[in-house]
Amino acid sequence: MAYLFVPLHSASYTTLNVPGFKGAYNSAWAGYVSAIMTTVMLSMYGFLLVNSGIKKDIDTEVGLIIACTPISDFSYLLSKMLSNLMVLLTIVCCTFVVSIIMFFMRGSGYAFVLANFVVPYLILAVPAMFLVASLAVLAEVFLGKKNVLQFLIYFMLFGITMAAINSRGANNLMTLIDPFGLKTITSSIAHEISSQFHTDIQNPSFGFIFSGQKPFKVFIYEGIHWQLPFLISRLLWVGVSILLVYFSSFFFHRFDFKQTAVSKKPVAEVRQTNGPNLAAAGINRSLMPPVVTDYSIFPFVKTELLLLIRKGNKWFWLVNIGLWLAMCFAPLAIAHAYLLPVLWFLQVTRWSDLATKEKTNRLHYFTFAAYRPLFRILPAQILSGVILAIAMALPLLLRYAIAADLYSIVNLINGAVLVIVLAVAIGIITGGKKLYEIIFFMLTYAVINKLSFADYLGSMVHGNRIGYIVILTGLNAAALLLSFMVRSYQSRHL
Amino acid sequence: MVLEIKNLTKKYNKHKTGLTDYSITLENGILGLLGPNGAGKSTLMKIISTISKPTQGTLFLDGIDIVRNPGHIRKILGYLPQDFGVYPNLNAYEFLKYIAAMKGVGGRGLNQRIEVLLEGVNLMADAKRPIGTYSGGMKQRIGIAQALLNDPKVLIFDEPTVGLDPEERVRFRQLITELADDCIIILSSHIVSDIETIADEVAVMQGGRLITKGSQQDIMKHAENKVFEVLVAPALMPEFKSKYSVIDTSRQQDQVRVRYISELNATAPSSTPVKAGLEDAYLFLTQSNV
Repeated sequence: MAYLFVPLHSASYTTLNVPGFKGAYNSAWAGYVSAIMTTVMLSMYGFLLVNSGIKKDIDTEVGLIIACTPISDFSYLLSKMLSNLMVLLTIVCCTFVVSIIMFFMRGSGYAFVLANFVVPYLILAVPAMFLVASLAVLAEVFLGKKNVLQFLIYFMLFGITMAAINSRGANNLMTLIDPFGLKTITSSIAHEISSQFHTDIQNPSFGFIFSGQKPFKVFIYEGIHWQLPFLISRLLWVGVSILLVYFSSFFFHRFDFKQTAVSKKPVAEVRQTNGPNLAAAGINRSLMPPVVTDYSIFPFVKTELLLLIRKGNKWFWLVNIGLWLAMCFAPLAIAHAYLLPVLWFLQVTRWSDLATKEKTNRLHYFTFAAYRPLFRILPAQILSGVILAIAMALPLLLRYAIAADLYSIVNLINGAVLVIVLAVAIGIITGGKKLYEIIFFMLTYAVINKLSFADYLGSMVHGNRIGYIVILTGLNAAALLLSFMVRSYQSRHL
Repeated sequence: MVLEIKNLTKKYNKHKTGLTDYSITLENGILGLLGPNGAGKSTLMKIISTISKPTQGTLFLDGIDIVRNPGHIRKILGYLPQDFGVYPNLNAYEFLKYIAAMKGVGGRGLNQRIEVLLEGVNLMADAKRPIGTYSGGMKQRIGIAQALLNDPKVLIFDEPTVGLDPEERVRFRQLITELADDCIIILSSHIVSDIETIADEVAVMQGGRLITKGSQQDIMKHAENKVFEVLVAPALMPEFKSKYSVIDTSRQQDQVRVRYISELNATAPSSTPVKAGLEDAYLFLTQSNV
């Protein structure tokens, strides 16, 4: 990813987009743009990466041990925040090193100035990572296991912040409230271009924009002179991050969930059985009917569907139903390009552990020891996921069927299969669900932003229709094959 | 039904070996596996239940190679792993139906089969509750029920009594004894008394190797004339422990009654010989093989 952050002039995409202009590939441009892109991308995806530190302690029950140690709530949460920060800073370090390597590899002829790499990373990326790390802790404290809600709120906040950064005009207040410190940099770039070409330009925007080759002018960017108010604002954001953790410590459950539940509603009483727990008569095997063999996969499909439907907060189904109904009535293009990708992405936590939940729940001893698990359980998991994805896309499928648009129907089905086999393949290979969640988010983001290379559900126009279908089907087949091969090995090597 | 295990070796990597050249032949009845942590009990059970492949060696069930043909044993296998989990969102009925599907059990009688099992492990009243709300003992009982869903002919229980209270343990032992007539049952436990009361044969393992296998009497013979008791002043206990291999201690007024292992000609003064039990023999075998 870091390799792509600072494209050459000949590249068909931009990352820091100033229409009609490109910066000369000197140390300042390479260092600043790479630091900006690291800040933006990692602020966006980093949250997904680190927002499960407390959940891990809950799942492993280490939390119960921690709860009875003298560690204060604030110290515990701060340690979680710092561990999140370490993960994020490790990635920042990697992109930093790659940016320097790229500068030398591309040999643009400009002098290498280390400070032009170090300083923007320190001033932009590090405080931003503080904020992301603390927001992840805050989200876990207040929204617990409601992962999708966490994502939604975070990305809404992120979107609002980025919109404010991309808006025109910069003043001291804007500098102060910009958590990523980007406004100052973009303003300086705009100012540099204005002074070199005597033209008024829009503020630069960020993100991968594939616009092909267009005529452009090259400007020289030398970085900025760091002003004290700006530096103070960066430190302030580090302070705010720590304050947020301190604030959340007042609401931290300290792994005492029953108490929290009681305050909301009475918990179902745990039955206290009198007498022996294994019935006095034991298991009366004479009452058992003879075993009837049934090796079909339908009981699995039924249970897998049940697990998918029951996962998460049941009230969230109202949002799903709302979007589903909206797809019935919204213009077809909007329903296909925006509503369906969003509806599918909202199911990310249902699908991300489709093929890993048996390991997470320590049921893999049973599933791997089952009769022909590779040909019964894994297909059932995939099938149940696809059924749910298709059920979500049903309004669109029906509308395309009425319009006799077979091409779109095939694309939708291919897309439904892709999101599921991707979840299964990534889950089986990595053993976790995080990577899939990040990839699916990036895919959804790219589709909504009309990046045609990421169009996995046929919502954009493609020149070669057959070629497009073949590519998607091929991807699905490859992911399926990989899943079966790796699971086949895993099931005999516990 | 005969399960023949020959020269089984399991290497996890260059430095870690789970089993070394392990051979044993089992017929219907209960085999108790005893051994300290890391002895290879769970590794052996995983290999027999076909979820782990041996690095070397063979496993034949009634003459059929189950390493190459795992489906042969899976159809008739009941397995209760040591640290199994559940899907917390499913209730006991749904969970057992899911496991039944894994084992290839279905048909009209399935519901009745599940009810009998739930009745047998006394979970009928809680059968509609999500398993996530169950206590440790209740989860262990649902584990026992799932192992019996398919009328297994090979039953593997890895530490089955963990989480069960004393009464549940007694019932579990009774259940296992009833099943042993037409089943090969392999049972591992740290609690020697669990094995002592029900196992037809005992295999003692250490460091991935089989130290010995035989009836309980055969095993106990290893410690014959080697177990003694003596009263020791509490202040002298550290010195005593440094000289002798202590099996058990109990407080007796102002002294400590110590049960220890020693050669007959090297006992502590005033010691009296006592009859060796399975636990004594097990400790003697594992300590003398360190």
